[in-house]
Amino acid sequence: MTAAAAEPGLWSEAELAKFRRMTLVWGITVLLLLPILALLGYFMRLYQSGAFSGLRAEWFYAVLTLHSLGMVGTWFVGSMAGVSYLLLKYARPSLAVSKFAYGGTLVGVVLLIACTLGGLFGTGWYFLYPLPLYAQGVWAPWATFTFFAALAILGVSWTIWTLDILRAIAQRYSLGAALGWNYVVGKPGHELPPLVLITTVSLIVSLSGLAAAVVVIALFGARALGVNVDPLLMKNLTFFFGHDLVNITMYLGVAMVYDLLPTYAGRPWNTNRVVAMAWGAVLFLVLFAFFHHLYMDFAQPTWIQKFGQICSYLLAVPAGVVSIFGTLALVYASRMRWTLASTFFFLGILGWGLGGIAAVIDSTVEVNFHFHNTLWVPAHFHTYYLMGVVLIILGFIDHAGKELSGLEEKASLSKLTTALLLIGGYGFLFMFYWGGVRSVPRRYAIYPQEVMQGTLYARVAVGFITLLLLGILLYLWETGKRCLKALG
Amino acid sequence: MVQMHAFYVFLGAGGLLVVAFLYVALSTRNARDINVRTAYSLRTKFFIVVLAVLGLGMGMTLGKTPYPKGNELPDKVVFVVGKQFSFALSDTPITNDQEYEARTYGTPVEVRAGSLIEFRVTSLDVNHSFAVYSPDDHLLAQTQAMPGYVNRLRVRFTEPGRHYVLCLELCGMGHHRMRGVFDVK
Repeated sequence: MTAAAAEPGLWSEAELAKFRRMTLVWGITVLLLLPILALLGYFMRLYQSGAFSGLRAEWFYAVLTLHSLGMVGTWFVGSMAGVSYLLLKYARPSLAVSKFAYGGTLVGVVLLIACTLGGLFGTGWYFLYPLPLYAQGVWAPWATFTFFAALAILGVSWTIWTLDILRAIAQRYSLGAALGWNYVVGKPGHELPPLVLITTVSLIVSLSGLAAAVVVIALFGARALGVNVDPLLMKNLTFFFGHDLVNITMYLGVAMVYDLLPTYAGRPWNTNRVVAMAWGAVLFLVLFAFFHHLYMDFAQPTWIQKFGQICSYLLAVPAGVVSIFGTLALVYASRMRWTLASTFFFLGILGWGLGGIAAVIDSTVEVNFHFHNTLWVPAHFHTYYLMGVVLIILGFIDHAGKELSGLEEKASLSKLTTALLLIGGYGFLFMFYWGGVRSVPRRYAIYPQEVMQGTLYARVAVGFITLLLLGILLYLWETGKRCLKALG
Repeated sequence: MVQMHAFYVFLGAGGLLVVAFLYVALSTRNARDINVRTAYSLRTKFFIVVLAVLGLGMGMTLGKTPYPKGNELPDKVVFVVGKQFSFALSDTPITNDQEYEARTYGTPVEVRAGSLIEFRVTSLDVNHSFAVYSPDDHLLAQTQAMPGYVNRLRVRFTEPGRHYVLCLELCGMGHHRMRGVFDVK
């Protein structure tokens, strides 16, 4: 299994028990945040369907900001906690740093709630420069300050956490070995678990993204002091950070699947030359794919726009050919033990693939010209988030909860949960996709006459979200019980 | 319509992926050992197919970007300024807030169907998106309205009638109310 099979002498039983407990605390926190943040999303679709006509639109944009930032942050920490737990077999990440990151995350979350629900700060999750400084009387300067303070605290906490995991890996593997370069040159030597390879690649990218976020926050500060800041530079930095953070979360989720799915399929999934080369390509390509967020900034040089499309397309190759094909090959005709966790891992990779297809389509400049900032955008990122990495992380929490509590699942409840999540989730997503095809803008509190069809799509989506929420509640009831018992 | 073509591509490729996952899930009912060499050989073929499809996609689309090409001159230039929460369109440059106010509430600009129109788009405050909708409510074209930069969007309209402009970049509490209009004759 996982932590129980740590290399001899790496951990004492007491240390392992403490780390497992911390993992459960992270897991339960994710399980608490999930329904709250999901309800905020439910509120937004209800608002768009006209259910809250008496409530000012400022509330919609504040909730949108909290929902999106909250979800991005929740699944990032969920994937980090999951990977840290699985790494216990091979390395010694610091429990103190994990606790520090947890404290920083809690403070950041409280500040985000204060500035959005308390201060109506409503710029969306990527707070595009200079919008936070143009409040139009909706949010006060304290809310802007609190927002950036929250980002700074989260950024520092997560950077230290990231550095610590890289430190733990570096104590066991050299950089070249951890990146699989030995395999690339045909001299594998000491075996490298895919979990370590993917985590190393992901966290290096993560550090570059977090560094960009620091520069963005510093430049906002400089602007407040009267320094002129280039909006196009800020946009590039913002999307570099945002794109990296979202992709890293997905890659860490995929790393968990590489590590855990073999235990259910009864077959190994080892690093080899192709796997190492694929993740090496990811390390390079993901740094430049973010340019597809700026296609509609015509002032950006055309060669950069085309380079962005090429990198975005090529990024699909290592993911699709190695990880998705690898999942299918691993499971094909295997003695698969289908549980809630393994089903979620399998479906999570499917969702990642489907969202990836929609993302590649949207990363075509010619198509983006018609889809940019329409509902196609939330459609594709909710596909690889909600039906991708979220399912994987929920699968991991269920796996860890079962492993540490010893409580088994009820097959009938697991099937019902999966069915509700699939029907509710993909039904909800379809209304986003169709809205994109019909030119409905994203992030509209109220749809004007020209795109009134968006109101109808929101009403249909509300029905599907209700099913989705029922599935989430059922999952929380079952998995929550196991996690709480394990926590004692 | 580009949107429908993209949707069909998504349904086709996504459908194939769903079928593959379903097939593999069902295969576990008949568990058996598989030949790893066969799997690797299949992966190589899959790699070639994916690369070919993506290469074809790039070949078909990379030359069709909406960015202005140097050797083509527009028949008419329309100046556009975005500001929380409206667009001002004008036949002459808009250089200050007064001109912006006057053009926001002025007579709609007129352009001729079939001629090449260049919109020179900027913003006086935050990022907006200048998104042009046809009379039957389809998104025809868009570019960002960014402070400090002028984005040149070129469009050849085929359908006469009143066209609407919506903002597609979140710009504050009145984002969904932000609009502009012009007429294609």
